Amino acid sequence: MSDVVEMHLKLLFDLDNLIADTEEPSYKKMGFQLEEEASLVLIRKRNELLQQLPKEIAQIYEILKKRYRQAIAPVESEFCLGCFQKLPTELITRSQNITTCPNCGRILYWRKK
Amino acid sequence: MNLASLLSKDRVNLSLKPGKKDDVINDLVYSIKKGNDAALIVSTLLKREELGSTGIGKGIAIPHCRSLAVEKLEIAVGRTSKPINFNSIDKKPVSLIFLIIAPPQDPGNQYLITLGKIVQIAKEITKKNLIQKAKTPDEFIAMINEIEKSLTKRK
Repeated sequence: MSDVVEMHLKLLFDLDNLIADTEEPSYKKMGFQLEEEASLVLIRKRNELLQQLPKEIAQIYEILKKRYRQAIAPVESEFCLGCFQKLPTELITRSQNITTCPNCGRILYWRKK
Repeated sequence: MNLASLLSKDRVNLSLKPGKKDDVINDLVYSIKKGNDAALIVSTLLKREELGSTGIGKGIAIPHCRSLAVEKLEIAVGRTSKPINFNSIDKKPVSLIFLIIAPPQDPGNQYLITLGKIVQIAKEITKKNLIQKAKTPDEFIAMINEIEKSLTKRK
């Protein structure tokens, strides 16, 4: 996966989490100002980011988002933080472009140390 | 989780350089992360600001987001000597900023709990006029600890 695709994917993911958090009842109670029109702009922006991804990755992302709410899972100490299963030394790659967890299928992300 | 325990004195900058809102957010993020990670966080924080300012009024702002770039809840605090424009709810400039970044996977939704706690503490700070009180990061963390304790007692 190229650096640009990876950056788009990460931005899309963070944006989706942002949208989801602002819809939480406990968040709404905190009293932050939220402009409804701006929320629509963010949704448009995430859709644009989605279109900028290679079609195959965009499709996988959307399927996983529907299934789990969060399509990407960071890897920590060889564990997928989406399903908390230990990852095999040689990961199964279901797509030519991205690495997914062989157990839950989430897109795996290794944080840079 | 105790909020004061999440603060470290090297992340409390009581002489933050005043500037534009975006620059101040940038400076605080770079005290936590560098490079592409910092760029990703700044981008998401600014997207959050597009939804509506996180300036909650009376001189305090709480920019926040989740990001893949962090492994645990990270908090940075900045206080500027000169208040800056943050497009706050009450239109007043801001001089105290709590910046909070959480990882996407967050057992027990600690992020929203901590964010709610910071909002409560921020309201106490403005009510008691304490924004400029602490002279050192240690004093600031001790002040947060005291406020948190008094809020817990009230419950």
